[in-house]
Amino acid sequence: MFLVGSFFLFAAFLITTCIFVIFSKNPVNSVLFLVLAFLNSTFLFILIGAEFVGIILAIVYIGAVAILFLFVVMMLDIQITTLMYNIKKYVPLALLFAGIILAEIIYLTVFKTSKVNIDTFIRSKNNTEQIGDVLYTKYFIDFQLSGIVLLLAMIGAIVLTHVYRPTIKRQNIDSQNSTTAKDRVKLLKIKPGEGIKDD
Amino acid sequence: MTSLTYNHFFILSLIVFIIGCFGLFLNRRNMILILMCIEIILLAANINFVSASVFLNDINGQVFSIFILTIAAAEAAIGLAILVIYFRNKGEIDITQINQLKD
Repeated sequence: MFLVGSFFLFAAFLITTCIFVIFSKNPVNSVLFLVLAFLNSTFLFILIGAEFVGIILAIVYIGAVAILFLFVVMMLDIQITTLMYNIKKYVPLALLFAGIILAEIIYLTVFKTSKVNIDTFIRSKNNTEQIGDVLYTKYFIDFQLSGIVLLLAMIGAIVLTHVYRPTIKRQNIDSQNSTTAKDRVKLLKIKPGEGIKDD
Repeated sequence: MTSLTYNHFFILSLIVFIIGCFGLFLNRRNMILILMCIEIILLAANINFVSASVFLNDINGQVFSIFILTIAAAEAAIGLAILVIYFRNKGEIDITQINQLKD
């Protein structure tokens, strides 16, 4: 009963925060509500025993992606605008989607009731160990490929936002390495009373 | 209704997915909100994968959701980079003008 109660609490919070993400006027508020939505889904994942994915969701989404969004929102000067200025055009689409969700919910709750109970599973290993068993063996190639995707995204973001300014003085390592002591230092013999003559 | 079933999670992920889609369709002004709606849609997919994985007692769904997480992070980085250069060139992020990206 505790499980179901906390599920409904977190699910209600998740749906409410998702709605607030879409309908708040200030983009900063949207990002903060997005953080709250991710946090609620983290709670849901931990509730059903998927701790590793839940914590990874918290670290990656809240710690990285949402902060990235927050930086961009605060960096850009965005006017606070209302969302819907011409809602009538989208009423048929909205009705279509509402029909689809209603049909799926009816199909699930009436015809296809799942009887699997979460309390019946007995796990020999913990969640992280289970994931680690397959992630580094069965999904080894996919794991490496996702690393390459992240590298590509990083390089792409740097290339896209990098501004080349020709006036900036850069370090020329080749010319630095090819200089010798003769180019820079000169030994002078100064006679008394004459001083240094400029060449 | 005394025990938690997969249906609960499926309906929840469906609702979150529909909210994300509605945000995409209804939003005509702000490009950053479109990226946030894509994140919400990916979150719905993640909820579905993880809950199915738990209730079917099969770990592969959770591994797949980690890959979804990776792709979502990459997508957010690239999308925000495009947003930043668009703002630098245009001075605004109005979505109605975005077809000028092609020239």
